[in-house]
Amino acid sequence: MSAARAVVATGAAALVLAAAPWLLSDFLLSLTVACLMYAGLAVSWAMFSGPTHYLSLATAAFFGLGAYVTAWGVATLPWALCVAGGGLVAAVFAALVGAAVLHLRGAYFAVLTFGLGELVRHAITYFEKSYFRTVGRVLTKTPDATTVYLTVLGVAAAAVAVAAVVRASRLGLALRGIGGDEERAQTLGVSTRRMKIAGFALSAFFAGAMGAAVAVRWTYIDPPAVFNPFIGLQTVLIAMVGGAATLGGPLASAVVFSLFTEFLRLRFPYAFLLVLGTLLIVLVLYLPGGLASLVERRRPAAAAGGAARGAGGPTRG
Amino acid sequence: MADVLLAARGVSVRFGGLIAVDGVDLEVSERELIGIIGPNGAGKTTLFHTLSGLVRPTAGRLSVRGRDLTGRPPHVFAAHGVARTFQTPRVFREMTAEANVRFGLEFAGRRRAHPHDAFDDARSILAFLGLAEVASVPAGALTPARQRLLEIGMAFGARPDVLLLDEVAAGLTERELETTAQLIRRVRDELGVAVVWIEHAVRALMGVVERVLVLHQGRKIADGSPALVARDRAVIEAYLGGEEPPA
Repeated sequence: MSAARAVVATGAAALVLAAAPWLLSDFLLSLTVACLMYAGLAVSWAMFSGPTHYLSLATAAFFGLGAYVTAWGVATLPWALCVAGGGLVAAVFAALVGAAVLHLRGAYFAVLTFGLGELVRHAITYFEKSYFRTVGRVLTKTPDATTVYLTVLGVAAAAVAVAAVVRASRLGLALRGIGGDEERAQTLGVSTRRMKIAGFALSAFFAGAMGAAVAVRWTYIDPPAVFNPFIGLQTVLIAMVGGAATLGGPLASAVVFSLFTEFLRLRFPYAFLLVLGTLLIVLVLYLPGGLASLVERRRPAAAAGGAARGAGGPTRG
Repeated sequence: MADVLLAARGVSVRFGGLIAVDGVDLEVSERELIGIIGPNGAGKTTLFHTLSGLVRPTAGRLSVRGRDLTGRPPHVFAAHGVARTFQTPRVFREMTAEANVRFGLEFAGRRRAHPHDAFDDARSILAFLGLAEVASVPAGALTPARQRLLEIGMAFGARPDVLLLDEVAAGLTERELETTAQLIRRVRDELGVAVVWIEHAVRALMGVVERVLVLHQGRKIADGSPALVARDRAVIEAYLGGEEPPA
């Protein structure tokens, strides 16, 4: 699908989904928000980590930063500014950190980005304690549920549309080249450092904006809740299970995963993590290209399938 | 004398206690066709790494068209018209052959005008190399010989003035070797690109190039016409202590 068609399709889907608050029950609406949140997070994660194979575990850090922008600003700033600000803070943070750590690859990069979430969490805890003498915040003045839903939908749709545009752009090509052979890409004229920082920051923007948009659903915010490593890990797993090299894979996987998680949690409150974990192991072992590779394999053009198959696997950094 | 495109002056590379390249001077002028030979471990590939910006020289200066690029990253060398291939083909295996060539055109080659039609687009580059019929095949599925050609095609995408070829003929049959030597000649003659060619197949190389550099233990021990270099005492000693250079 061309970038223009993907953007139009995303816009159309978003318009249809925008009717949900007037059609769905509260329970179904909150389930849809969960789907959209993970769709936005997984697509934005795959925007950078999919083509480059740089396994970033920093999603929780970006998400939490965004959430805290909302926590600080929601009572005084316009809502749209909170969400955009959450994205911007995360993007700037990603650019600064990226400049320092994006020369690392593989496990080093993964561990460092994971540590980043912890670092920011502790920094914010310290900051809140010393300046506001508090560990958590109760959000009193928050937008209504419909506004929150539409914001989450907007951020998710924007993430998908931007991901589609990036895939078709020189940035996307550069990121794929970096994932294929970083040095080779450099010798062909790619300023790999600049491209990696740009991709990383863009991906962080949507994670931060999503954090900012979703944060108000929790009335009480504290660092352990918003810098929850589970959110970051779940995002990575969703994207990898769906097929990080594709656009549709993480998207579909986010929906399936969110519904499935909810179903398991309601039906098997104790065993659900066991089932989820087992399923992941099986998928990673037997379908390294993600669920999207099943679709690719059926396509008539053997060449295209072969090209896509190897690209989506877990990091080869 | 034509303009000097690429110049290395007193370039040395040290890895810990090992001196891989030791004070090498090299000037590449427009439309020159230069060969670099030397026994294994002579520092040929490391020299290429410095000439393309991948390895920063420990000492010495590098310049392209008089502009000092010492210590700059590889994409700057590419942007100034220095393109290279690698000993083991480093193609983007998941992309098609055409996309591999287009990659350079999108980045280093984007702002570089080139007078020759052969550099217009990915298709014409593939046609020049005889790879037109595999344009839409993923690079990883090509034969090793074709991957080597594609390596050259990727470098063409950067629309270079100087092409650095690192053992593009390694592992080829006698006939393929002959074809490759002809191709390299055409690159210079028809496209007007200066070529620096590292090769172990000394005989094939000597038949094509106009000037040969001999490296031995990181040092340049000879630099001149093939006929002259083949009679050089130091060169003959470097190769198997007195026997004729192996082909």
